[in-house]
Amino acid sequence: MKLFVSGRQAWVSIGVTLAGTLLFALLPLLLSPYGVRVGQLFVLAAGLAVAWTVLGGFSGYWSFGNAAFVGTGAFTAALLQLALPGWPAGSAFMVALVAAMLLNGLLALAIAWPILRLRGIYFAIAMLGVSQVCFELVSNIDSLRGALGVNLMDIVPRGVRPERFYYWALLLATLVIVLVAIAVRHSKLGYGLLAIREDEDTARMLGVPTTRYKMIAFVISAMLTAMMGVIYAHNLGYITANSVYRGDFNLNVIVYSLLGGMGTIIGPIIGAGIMTYVTQVLLGDLLDTHMFITGLLIAVLVLAAPNGLYGIYDNYRLRMRRRKQETQR
Amino acid sequence: MTLQTLVDGLVLGGLFSLSAVGFSLLFGVLGVVNLAHGAFVLIGGYAAWTLLDRFGIDPLLALPLIMLGMFCLGYAFQRTVIQWATKRASLLASMLLTFGFALMIRNALVLIYSPDFKSVTPAYAFDSLSFGEVTVGLTRVAALVVSVVLLALLAAMLRYTSLGRTIRATAQQEQAAALCGVNIRHVFALTAGVSAAFAGAAGVAIGLVMPFSPPDETLWTINAFVVVTLGGIGSPAGALVGGLILGVINTATAQLVGAAFPNAMMFLLLVLMLVVRPAGLLGNSFKGSR
Amino acid sequence: MTAQSILSVQGVSRSFRGLKAVNEVSFEVPRGSICSLIGPNGAGKSTFFNLVTGYFAPDTGTITFEGRDITGFSPVQVAHLGVARAFQIAKPFPGMSVTENVRIGALFGRTGPRDVAAVTAQAMELAGLAELHDREARELTVGQLRRLEVARALAARPSLLLADEPCAGLNPTETAEMVTILRRIRDAGATIVLVEHDMPAVMEVSDTVLVLEAGCLIAQGKPEEIARDPRVIAAYLGTDE
Repeated sequence: MKLFVSGRQAWVSIGVTLAGTLLFALLPLLLSPYGVRVGQLFVLAAGLAVAWTVLGGFSGYWSFGNAAFVGTGAFTAALLQLALPGWPAGSAFMVALVAAMLLNGLLALAIAWPILRLRGIYFAIAMLGVSQVCFELVSNIDSLRGALGVNLMDIVPRGVRPERFYYWALLLATLVIVLVAIAVRHSKLGYGLLAIREDEDTARMLGVPTTRYKMIAFVISAMLTAMMGVIYAHNLGYITANSVYRGDFNLNVIVYSLLGGMGTIIGPIIGAGIMTYVTQVLLGDLLDTHMFITGLLIAVLVLAAPNGLYGIYDNYRLRMRRRKQETQR
Repeated sequence: MTLQTLVDGLVLGGLFSLSAVGFSLLFGVLGVVNLAHGAFVLIGGYAAWTLLDRFGIDPLLALPLIMLGMFCLGYAFQRTVIQWATKRASLLASMLLTFGFALMIRNALVLIYSPDFKSVTPAYAFDSLSFGEVTVGLTRVAALVVSVVLLALLAAMLRYTSLGRTIRATAQQEQAAALCGVNIRHVFALTAGVSAAFAGAAGVAIGLVMPFSPPDETLWTINAFVVVTLGGIGSPAGALVGGLILGVINTATAQLVGAAFPNAMMFLLLVLMLVVRPAGLLGNSFKGSR
Repeated sequence: MTAQSILSVQGVSRSFRGLKAVNEVSFEVPRGSICSLIGPNGAGKSTFFNLVTGYFAPDTGTITFEGRDITGFSPVQVAHLGVARAFQIAKPFPGMSVTENVRIGALFGRTGPRDVAAVTAQAMELAGLAELHDREARELTVGQLRRLEVARALAARPSLLLADEPCAGLNPTETAEMVTILRRIRDAGATIVLVEHDMPAVMEVSDTVLVLEAGCLIAQGKPEEIARDPRVIAAYLGTDE
């Protein structure tokens, strides 16, 4: 059994990813602690956005509620560590990570059956509902401590600066997410998901097991998002429902893909880079109007470049090729 | 559940219905999910607050004025922004676009009015009517009356006027309507105008009954979506049914389960409803769903 | 059902809101043949395709494919057994290249994972698309799209191909190409059921012709017999009564 359907492209992407990760891994040695913190935000955003893409970008089922998995991942880890006092930090972290990913995978599986039958807009809004329910339940049920907050274990090894440690941890997780996304994209599963995005009825007619594929992609997406959530929670050190079930997570992951290029893997990464730079560095001082500027950016983006930067490049490529064919004639 | 809870639930339900009907109309006719709808509702509320606070104009007198203003806003919004987006990008992208506008409006409201809660309190705000053991504040009565009257007017407008017939025809067969000489863009923009006008009216009524602040816009948008999902898309009757059910469930949950749970219950209901009957109780009055 | 027939339809009916779209239709499709289904608009041809591919279930009757009762199977099940369908309104995935489109057919058809590349190339060759392999579907002409539709269906290695008006809207050159392609597909071992309005093409390519009118099978036979059949002529031209 061959691993990838389009093997050469897959191995090129993997090579580029590994090289890129290596470059990014060296960055903290050059940057100030503030720069490293901005870097963390970028890596977190990129990882979450690529995890979203596995379902949203490939199959066209846009989830408006991925914060559900960030938050539920974070709280699973935090509450588990609370229940396991006295464990060494390293193994407590690993247990929490695995448990959070499994639990979110199960959660996704449980909600996938009813809501992945819905199409387009209904699925998007149902996911927004799911993330709100999770937030409200964790906030309002006392034993889940969403309102009160939970402390997480300190897992930073001695002698490493915390901001660097978390930068690397988030980078490693993002590397895993990107590799999984590449593997999905170039496998049979990936081609099936693309067919679903293009035309679900035709896909079914061609023999694509649409329901099963959507569920698999959803579960993968949820587990990867939860993994990011667990690391993010440790980075915060102390979490409340408000700090992990963040509405802007729901929105931003989509915006990054729209900006960079929907359905690609590099698109959301570039989008995350640009948005992080613009909001944190260029507009870092304008906290009052932060939301206004984000909204304006989204509006301009959708109106001016609905297919993102990749769409602009793609149109250019098509036009060039057409011109070449005409000159050949 | 006491009678008082039921009455409170119905008043709240009237507000839900009124705030959702414009959203529902736009969704049914244009297929556009306007995530800025809740922000439009709040603009209405803040307009009523400003008119009362600065100029002493009673909110019920200001209502037609606010609706007219919001109508113009909605018309312009459709003609410029949404039309452009639906033409060039997907419906999902247009949904994201309205989300962008929601963020901008929310931020602008915070800057203008501060993030604190405001409420519209005319002189009669503290009077109330009693029917036996049930007591209802006068403003609540006013809010309920405004909701029901406006919904009835909208239903009559859609049913009997030529504008209403044009809107319904366009919703069902866009191309056929265009071939019959209907200016589709104009009709769509009129629909968006009506939608925004009713959002503004809902804002006024909400302001009479409860305090509001800029971040509430998300809640009112989602409320509208839940109402539409419950009742059915595109019709005032669907909005009324959905809104009243939601209102009663809301107050009942607060009383029976706990004050913190109405929202969770509402979203749970939304998800359940989408699963069981995505077209809503009354179905889509314009086209098939899914 | 005889041994050499691949598809057997026995007494199949299906109504929509009281209207009998397909009424007590029975016939056999011999293996390795091209069998055309003709009839005026609304005769039930498309409904028949939808019944065979599992999009609708018949109200009564049985559909047997390769000796197996497939009545009431889902589209995915039917596809996996080796029935492929090429649509009248070509539905290639617009954002994908020609190769990717055909590859999806191969991936989800009855091809081993090792053979995907070879089967994809072969299907594109058969449909005359080899030169266009890196073109995106949205760049193609109508005739090319129709061939892509056929190639994608073919890549699933079907033993039965249902082709829904593959010649509709094509110019004479393109139609001739399509006829050649259909023959090549049959010669490669597949059976084809064709719905087509282009009578010269039908007469040229078919081994047997079935005529439907108002949901009923009114004639079947070799193309030259059908062309002379008075009932068929009446169905198409009307009678002087």
